[in-house]
Amino acid sequence: MSASFAPECTEAKQKYDDCFNNWYTEKFLKGKSMQNECEDLWIEYKECVEANLVKKGIKPMLDEAEKEAPFEKGGVPLDNSDEKK
Amino acid sequence: MKLFESSCSFNYPWSQVTAANWRKYPNEKSTHVVAVDVLRREVHPITGILRSERLITCEQKIPKWIALMVGGQIRSYVREVSEVDPVNQTLTMRSCNMTMNNILSVYEVVKYVPDNESPFSKTTFEQCAEIKAYSTFQRLTDKIEEWSIERFDSNAKLGKQGFESVLKIFSENLNKSGKLIDEYSEKLKASGKIIDGYSDKASVAISEVGESLKTGITDTSSLLYKTKEKIKHQFFGN
Repeated sequence: MSASFAPECTEAKQKYDDCFNNWYTEKFLKGKSMQNECEDLWIEYKECVEANLVKKGIKPMLDEAEKEAPFEKGGVPLDNSDEKK
Repeated sequence: MKLFESSCSFNYPWSQVTAANWRKYPNEKSTHVVAVDVLRREVHPITGILRSERLITCEQKIPKWIALMVGGQIRSYVREVSEVDPVNQTLTMRSCNMTMNNILSVYEVVKYVPDNESPFSKTTFEQCAEIKAYSTFQRLTDKIEEWSIERFDSNAKLGKQGFESVLKIFSENLNKSGKLIDEYSEKLKASGKIIDGYSDKASVAISEVGESLKTGITDTSSLLYKTKEKIKHQFFGN
């Protein structure tokens, strides 16, 4: 299982990944659940990641990338919005 | 700007391919991908589409002097946004490099959909990348783009075989236990035979050239630096 970019987040990440992978195959793909059921593990992992994105100076790069290709648009760059979905 | 397109098919059902996709790293061969992090993940309440944003961290073994030139930066980062539509059965991944994108920017779209003819047993993979190099010398820009495309092409072919081996082990585990086990990477290591014959850089790619392009970016930027230095030397001496 892959590590986190911040070593101190790896443990939380792996716990979350385990839960997610199981949810993905057992529930999501089978149409049994639309709710991501790994919420608690996710919150713990996410807090760790967010703090480290700032600490390691990655946050500004991500903000820029998000502006150019918003998450809500599925990562399609704004200057490329005619791309067929 | 240059475009690269390729497609192929995998002999596994779409659902297995998409599940294996989340578990691709680490693997012995693509050691340059040192971390994969999920930044955001949501299920759309109406469409049911699962959207994820990930940060992929790569570490290249590049010569120290090049590392110094690029500001000591050995780590490179790629942002990827993916969408899984379980109703229409599509997995789309869009990725962009965030580091060194002043030299070379690559925007890649990868799609996995059930095969037209055998939708229950095969999955079609389509990939398209837009490669833009930035340089004050047009000829150099062209050269770098051409070189990147060539690299993309060779890595795409080998990458397909790499993903095949991950899928094979993954589906064996699936059949054996009826449940997905997360030890396929261990097995991958053990079954060196399967992945014999590809270079590191090839299996780096594991199918989407997202991975191989990350290697390409670092390589290309070092190439660019070297060439720039040469040009400087020719024109200005030293």
